[in-house]
Amino acid sequence: MADSEFDYEGTLEACARGDKGAFQRLYQREAGQMLGLAITLLGRRDQAEDCLHDALVKVWHNADRFDRSLGQGRAWIYSILRYRALNQLRSRGRLVDTDDGFIEQMADDSAQAEDIASDQSEGRELRRCLRQLERPRRHPILLAFYRGLTHEQIASRLTTPLGTIKGRIRAGLRALQECLQA
Amino acid sequence: MIPEAIEPRRALIGEYVLGLLEEPEASEVRELIAHDREAARMALEWEQHLLELADELPPQTPSLVLWERVQQSLGWTPASQATTADGFSGWWNSLGLWRLTSGALALLVLFSWLPGVLRDAPSSASFTAVLQVPGESAKPGWVVTVDGDGTLNLQSLVADQIPANQSVQFWTLIDPKDGPRSLGLIEPGKGTTLSAEQIGAVQAGQLFELTLEPEGGSPLNRPTGPVLYIGRAVLIASN
Repeated sequence: MADSEFDYEGTLEACARGDKGAFQRLYQREAGQMLGLAITLLGRRDQAEDCLHDALVKVWHNADRFDRSLGQGRAWIYSILRYRALNQLRSRGRLVDTDDGFIEQMADDSAQAEDIASDQSEGRELRRCLRQLERPRRHPILLAFYRGLTHEQIASRLTTPLGTIKGRIRAGLRALQECLQA
Repeated sequence: MIPEAIEPRRALIGEYVLGLLEEPEASEVRELIAHDREAARMALEWEQHLLELADELPPQTPSLVLWERVQQSLGWTPASQATTADGFSGWWNSLGLWRLTSGALALLVLFSWLPGVLRDAPSSASFTAVLQVPGESAKPGWVVTVDGDGTLNLQSLVADQIPANQSVQFWTLIDPKDGPRSLGLIEPGKGTTLSAEQIGAVQAGQLFELTLEPEGGSPLNRPTGPVLYIGRAVLIASN
């Protein structure tokens, strides 16, 4: 979970200056959450740990390329992790059998007035906006994020024509960004 | 073709961030993000929003060896130094340290001024644990030994056949309220050695176990499969 007290940007800048202690604090703060996402994407703990290892090494070596005027440090770290995980998934070319129960649940999770209020007060903008999408647009976006599926894989998982899936995702993302920018 | 208009461009970058674009479109967007600050900002903005989804997942404790591996890859701890006699770096790299609260950490920092305290304190006892089939005390399968340096050795007494799509995972449990910690995957019939830095300080009564997990290890932060062998550490020597 993001810790609003933790200074991700300052920590990355310290890493860029070669501060090993800062990197160690970042590891302690974030490795668990990063591993949670990597396991969900890759389905296997050993591959997820390999992925996390590679991502962390990259974070250290590329810390000098982080630029706080472009965005937040934690987002930058996860962009590296997810990019590696997706590459690993694509090069493997094979899907793991996974229990998508929690994704189904989130896909079914339509907007209720009280949820919207609590999401808003807790700054969960994406959750609030996702809930406002219809299920057929929300579900493929969740499958892409949590399982790293391609358009084709999503189409076959949901037994829906490829063109339809592409259209729904694009429309879903546009609706999301409208809601997020509002 | 990358759209010029800002909203379709932002949506396309969203598709890229989700990993949904194929070549050559993916490369075009990657190039754009590398050279166009506004595009890079949009990509990080999507990533920032998606963090909300990542944070819905429960965190998973990395196995003890991961930090060690990262440090080795960064060239911070050459393999030859893994069981260093150097009191300070051994202490600093000790994973057991990480489990200490910040209060205990402050106390350790205080003690570190006293010569010899940290050098000797965690590493003078040796332990052994015989891991047996649960409920069958006449069936030892593996032996754990922890020597005076804190190096752990896991030796097999059996040659079990494990199905091809499953893995054997090694765990330890110090305090039930912290839950088990993965020590990594084990080849059936083959032992392993873990350095003191990887294993942390061992205590009498500490539980070690091997469980049968899906190929690649438990997808969760704890064992999900049946316990194959289990045993507790017994103090065999203390200085």
